Amino acid sequence: MSHTSFYVRRLHSLCGIVPIGFFLLEHVITNAKVLGGPKLFNDAVAELAAIPHDIMLPIEICVLAIPFLFHGLYGAYIALQGKNNPSQYGYTRNWQFALQRWTAWYVAAFLIWHVVYLRIMVKGGGTPISYELLQSYFSNPIVFVLYTLGMVAAIFHFCNGLTTFTMTWGIAKGPRAQSVVNKCAMALCALLTVVTLIFMSSYLA
Amino acid sequence: MADKKTVHFIIERQDSPTSAPYTEEFEVPYRPALNVVASLMEIQKNPVTKDGKKTRPIVWECNCLEKVCGACMMVINGKAQQACAALIDHLEQPIRLSPARTFPVIRDLLIDRSVMFESLKRIQGWVNVDGSWEVKDAPIQNPKTAATAYEISHCMTCGCCMEACPNVGTQSDFIGPAPTVQAHLFNLHPIGKFNKEERLDALMEKGGITSCGNSQNCVEVCPKNIKLTTYLAQLNRDVNKQAIKNIFNK
Repeated sequence: MSHTSFYVRRLHSLCGIVPIGFFLLEHVITNAKVLGGPKLFNDAVAELAAIPHDIMLPIEICVLAIPFLFHGLYGAYIALQGKNNPSQYGYTRNWQFALQRWTAWYVAAFLIWHVVYLRIMVKGGGTPISYELLQSYFSNPIVFVLYTLGMVAAIFHFCNGLTTFTMTWGIAKGPRAQSVVNKCAMALCALLTVVTLIFMSSYLA
Repeated sequence: MADKKTVHFIIERQDSPTSAPYTEEFEVPYRPALNVVASLMEIQKNPVTKDGKKTRPIVWECNCLEKVCGACMMVINGKAQQACAALIDHLEQPIRLSPARTFPVIRDLLIDRSVMFESLKRIQGWVNVDGSWEVKDAPIQNPKTAATAYEISHCMTCGCCMEACPNVGTQSDFIGPAPTVQAHLFNLHPIGKFNKEERLDALMEKGGITSCGNSQNCVEVCPKNIKLTTYLAQLNRDVNKQAIKNIFNK
């Protein structure tokens, strides 16, 4: 019998952490540099933009676009196999299970908007990303709120994914180990959320 | 007036596997230590609804009446559990009964759980013996894992975990927590472990252990307190090792 779905599902789990999870952390760290002032943020963005296009584009396609599309499309297939029931079985992990799927739908829609507009239309159109550009973009309160929600949803999805990753790969086996991992992951989720809220609020000033 | 105390039931009924469900309400005289099965028996004796309308007796399934056989599993106040062990004193009224719709409904609260038997066949949930003759000096159970094997052997395929699992149902091909974890029981057995690879290979197929979404509802609802999530994680570990063997040993 075929084990294809086993390998595809494991690849889906792995690719949520590497490279997608790492890319999310990179986003939080680079964006948090705005707290050191607009210049520090612009310098960090310029540094990334200084990587030659011929090197950056294949990396963006192979390490980001393809894993994101695979994780998103196969993830949608997985999400459609679940019937969320936390109102009936209101256990913490079951809420996290449902939230993992709800945040996934939001993040998928958000990322299409975010990538098509900022990466393809703005940056691809020749306008460099800068603090000033983002500040005028985020001056629209709807954009600001949807972006903040997108970040928080992605952070939760990643952190809860860390917990389920340790279960799926048989790393955390017993209830104590699983509970410790879950608490650590949710603490990381809280930390990254606070950092995000702080750096996002700097655009309001 | 204490002797006039009654218990109020709202029961989801269905006349045939394909007909639409509807609800009927019943009142059963209260008595100490009354449980849901005994209440259904009262309704069976006098099938009259709360409004005084005569109706068909309710169909359900039960055998042992001591939480060992698993047959009377149904959804009581929103949670899958054994009706024989559901004491009226512990339930909030009105008590809502419905069939476990993860399984095909045959009639009223009676469901068809044969899908779990098919899944047990899929994971080879048995121990192969050489023949029907007496086996002398049979290998003993490993005393270090005997307690775990004993715990998993309590599984009565009642289907509580299947009903609570968000990934089991018509929308999914997941075989569910109970049949999956049975593979671990037979992998622990001194003779059963000879077929460990076949069982792990079966779990790696479509609808096997990879369809688990880690909601962990199974371990919360299991009436036999089997640490299902622990053994699912162990089996995840085992299938990953098996996958490495499959890739590099052939």
